[in-house]
Parts: sequence; structure tokens; C-alpha cells
Amino acid sequence: MRLRAHRCWSVLLLAAVTAAWAPAGGDTRAQDAVEPEAELPDWGEPLRKRTQRSKRRAEPRAPAPQPARRSERGAERAGAEPAKEAVEADVSSRNIAITSAFTGTEVVVFGSVVNSRQPSAEAGYYDVIVVLEGMATPLTARRKSNVAGLWVNTQAFAFESVPSYYAIASTRPIEEIAEPALLARHAIGHDYARLAPSAHSVMESQPGELQNYKDAVIRIKQRDGLYIKRDYAVIFIGKSLFRASISLPANVPVGPLTARVYLLREGELLSTFQSRVRLERSGVELWLYQAAMRHPLYYGLAAVLVAALAGLIASMPFRRKPPA
Amino acid sequence: MHIYLPIAEMSANVLLFLGMGAAVGFLSGLFGVGGGFLMTPLLIFSGIPSAVAVGTGAAQIVASSVSGAIAQWRRNNVDIKMGVVLLAGGIVGSVIGVKMVRILRLAGQFDLFVALAYVTFLGVIGALMLIESLNAIQSARSGQPRAARRSGQHNWVHKLPLKMRFHRSKLYISAIPPMMIGAFVGFLGAIMGAGGGFIMVPAMIYLLRVPTNVVVGTSLFQIVFVAAVTTVMQSTENYSVDIVLALILIVSGVIGAQYGAAAGARLKGEQLRLLLAALVLLVCARIAWDLVTTPPELFSITTTLGAQL
Repeated sequence: MRLRAHRCWSVLLLAAVTAAWAPAGGDTRAQDAVEPEAELPDWGEPLRKRTQRSKRRAEPRAPAPQPARRSERGAERAGAEPAKEAVEADVSSRNIAITSAFTGTEVVVFGSVVNSRQPSAEAGYYDVIVVLEGMATPLTARRKSNVAGLWVNTQAFAFESVPSYYAIASTRPIEEIAEPALLARHAIGHDYARLAPSAHSVMESQPGELQNYKDAVIRIKQRDGLYIKRDYAVIFIGKSLFRASISLPANVPVGPLTARVYLLREGELLSTFQSRVRLERSGVELWLYQAAMRHPLYYGLAAVLVAALAGLIASMPFRRKPPA
Repeated sequence: MHIYLPIAEMSANVLLFLGMGAAVGFLSGLFGVGGGFLMTPLLIFSGIPSAVAVGTGAAQIVASSVSGAIAQWRRNNVDIKMGVVLLAGGIVGSVIGVKMVRILRLAGQFDLFVALAYVTFLGVIGALMLIESLNAIQSARSGQPRAARRSGQHNWVHKLPLKMRFHRSKLYISAIPPMMIGAFVGFLGAIMGAGGGFIMVPAMIYLLRVPTNVVVGTSLFQIVFVAAVTTVMQSTENYSVDIVLALILIVSGVIGAQYGAAAGARLKGEQLRLLLAALVLLVCARIAWDLVTTPPELFSITTTLGAQL
């Protein structure tokens, strides 16, 4: 009888220990609403602040005109020019907490076209591209080749910075929206993402190698679900309001994200907007990670202690008197 | 049910890893082995970065051997002096091994090295066990008695200097061979994330001729401490011990081992060894397969070490 009670108690304790992780997490998106805006001074800053401001000042404040046909646009520019379009946007959650329950999440980027001349949501008058980009991180790409029958990493290529995550959503395929030159200038699309090779690796490798390694990095990131491309994922809801839902997978590297919104019309960039998303560990995750990185010795000693205790406790219910 | 692993930086299915821990625990209880050599490859196959698999494996070994070590200690089956000598070697080996993990990770050759180490050791040990158990089964069938092990036979081990008296083991031998064995096992433990009992026990029996009743207790005693040192070192050098993952594996593993041990009591020794040999060779073949077949993706990427924080 005593043994059974003992066993029950320990099993319960273990269950409690394992279960303790889950409730510690939970969805912290509720916190987003109360997060003071003052903490994000760089919030909602247009990409090209100065040029836009000066242009706006020069333009007369006119009421939004009726949607103009293509032939009329030239005339408008020459004469009484209508208010220029601009894009304003925001993200559904500015702070995303990685807790023990984190299994990936969705970020909704929504915004509106100021002074929209679009008659309806279906008109397709504007093109919007939304880019959600992760932190630039150093990375090494390696290539295997067959050495005496074994597949061994033989060549390496270092990148000084590669976006850890890159999701792009647009109203239609970006190749149809704009010229490659514009896409490249603004680092729009996986092929134009800012993959900066290290000077050392460039010097040491063959001329064509860089492109091979770049392609490989993009291919592997796509396979891992970290580079995402979704054509037609930006949807206009009204004549000016649009939204795009972008998924952050569970394996998303932790770090700040930048959301960039581009408003285009017939291959011409009209306006841009930028905002940030914080992606941080929180709760137990943060505590454990910081302990492991900042105090590795204590973390290691604690790990040994916890492991030994867990081993002893888990085997306690099964302990019998040694056989005679 | 998913849980985010703080060091592996991935969301893992708790039930999958609980099942994995229980399965490996069951097998380790069944065969009386540590199970690290099965756990590490399984973790790598399931997507855990190999360095984290190896580091976390060390913590898991502490847990799975500590209760056994205490039980053996109570039964006075530990030769402490021998254990300390093995441990001294083991710590040296572990230090070298952990440093080597770091160097190999930076060079991008760690995965290859782990795979080669596993293929070599699992291949050799699996083959030896297979032959031995088949012979044992055959001789049991034909009714011939097995040749008794000759005791007291001297080999080259006994000619080395620095002789010490090990009372519990009733041995008077040089301290160099146990140190070397300890260092070798400590090194492997750091690189392979395994306790190394599968090397330690045969080495103590056949090379040092330690009496069998002391072998298991002494090797467990040494493994607990070497694994503890390795865990701390992997934390400080490679930041690769995921305590959340370790806890999941420990809890299920220890419980699985108890049921495994109960099941093992109903099987014959030779049959058990044959099964274990088959299992070891299977894991070996699986790892070797990945090394020789053309991988679907020739490229791989790693975030540069120390880039985080």
C-alpha cells in the first residue's frame, strides 16, 4: 500500500513538472494592445521620409478625384495635380512572444492607400507588395562532394549577412508588378534579398560560385519554410484598405522583423512604408536561454542537478528491495 | 502538444519525444545498456541539430545512470579506487572531446565526424556481439559447454609501470590502462553523446580482467561523473545542452527502462545479445546509408557560431 501511494505521488509530481511549461506560455498577443507606443520610437516611419514630405508640401491639397483613366493622367500631372497617393500600414501584432507554447503564428499586415483613386477593391488599380524580413545574420553555406565514396562537406562559402527570414506577399506575381531593376533596388523578392557574401569567400572562390551558393541558401531557406512567397496574398478590401496574412513558422529565428509595404502603379513606385515587429523569447524560454548563454557554467551545473534529480525521482516509484 | 525547445530553437512534439525516450529507455532496460548510442542518432534523425543532440545526450546519461549507480553503490559493487582512476582519465578525454566538438563545428565537419564515429563503433561492436551471441546459441543447442574464461592469465597490460593495488577488484595492475580506457570513453562520450558503457564494460572485463560483479557498478560510477562533467563542458563551450529536451527524454526514458528491465528478465541472455546486436547493426546501417548515398541537397547552411545573443 505504501509503495503504491509513493508511486502515485511521484508520477503526479512529474506530470506537474512537465505540464508546467505549457501554461507558462500562452498567447501573449493580448499584451500587444497595452504596449505603450513610446517604446517604439521608430514606429511607422515612412521609408523615404524627406522626399515624400517635400513633395507633399509642393502639391496642392485637392479633394481626391474620381478614378482617372490612363490617358488622363498625363494631363493631370501638367495641370492641377491631384493629391499623390501614399500608403500607411500596420501589423496585427508588434510584439510576438516566443514562449514554450510557440508553434508559429500569423502576422497580418494591413494598411490603406491615402488618396486612393481606385473605384473598387476588384479594380486592380494599385499593386501592393508586403515584405516581412528577419534579422540579417552571418551564415556559412557548405557544399558536399563525394570523397572516396563518402559525401563530405568540401567547400564552404561565408555570407556576412543573410535575412534569417523573408516573406513576401503581393497583389499579383512581383515579376508582373515591376521591372527587375526596381525589385533589385528595394530588395523585393527572394532573388533580390540582400545576401551579402564575405569578401574573403568571394576572393577565394570561382566567379560563378557566388550565384550557386546564393541560390542554394535561398532554396534551403525556402525548403525550411523561412523564405515564403505568396502571390495574390495581398487583398484589397475596399477602395483603399488592403491586408495580407503572413505566417511565421515555429522555426523562425528569434530577432526583430521589419515589415515593408510598397505601393505601386503600373511598375512605378508611388509610396513605401516601414514598421517593425518584435519577436522575442519570453517567460521560461527567455529565462532558460539567457541562463544558457550568459551563465553557461551555472546553467550546466543546474542541468546536471536537474537531470540527476529527475532520474532519481522518475525511478523512485519502481524501486524494489534488492532480490535476495 | 508542442513545446518550444529553448536551445534547439525549434518547436517539438512532446509526445514524439516522450515516445522516443520511452522506446530507448525500454531498450536500454531490456539490454542493460545506457541507450545513449541509440538516443543520439534518433534525435539527429528527428531534426535536432547534432551538437544539441550530443550535448543533451550527456545530461540524459547523468539521469539514466544515477539511480543505477546508487543501487550498485549500496550493494558494494563499486571499486571506488578503480572508478576514480577511470574518472581521472575520463575527464581528460571529455575535455579534449568537447574542444574537438567546437573545432569540428566551426569547420563544418561535426556531422560527418559523429556519423563516422557511430558507424565505426556500432559496426564493430554490433558485429562482435552478433558473432558471440550466434556462437553461444549454437553451442547451447549442440549441448557443448562453453569454454570457461581463463582467469589469472597475464597479458601486456600487466607489464606496464605505475602499478596500483585495487582491493575491491582484487587486482594489482598499472594505472595507465584504466586511465587510457577512461580517457577514450570520456572522449567518445563528448563526441557521440553516449555514456560509453558499451565500450567500458568489455574493456574492463577483457583488458583489465576486473571481476564481473564489480564491472557494472564501477563503470556506472564513472559514467555518472564523466557525463556530469561533459554536460557542464558542453554548456560552457558549445551552449548545446537543451534542458527542456533532456527532461522530456529523462522522464520517459527512466520509466521505459523499468519496463524494459522487467521484460528483459523473461528473455535468455544469448537471445537478448542477438537482438541488441541486430539493433546496433541496424542503426549503424542507417547512418552509413546517409553517408554513401547521394544526398538530395548537396548544400547545407549553418548560422555562424556565436552569432546569436
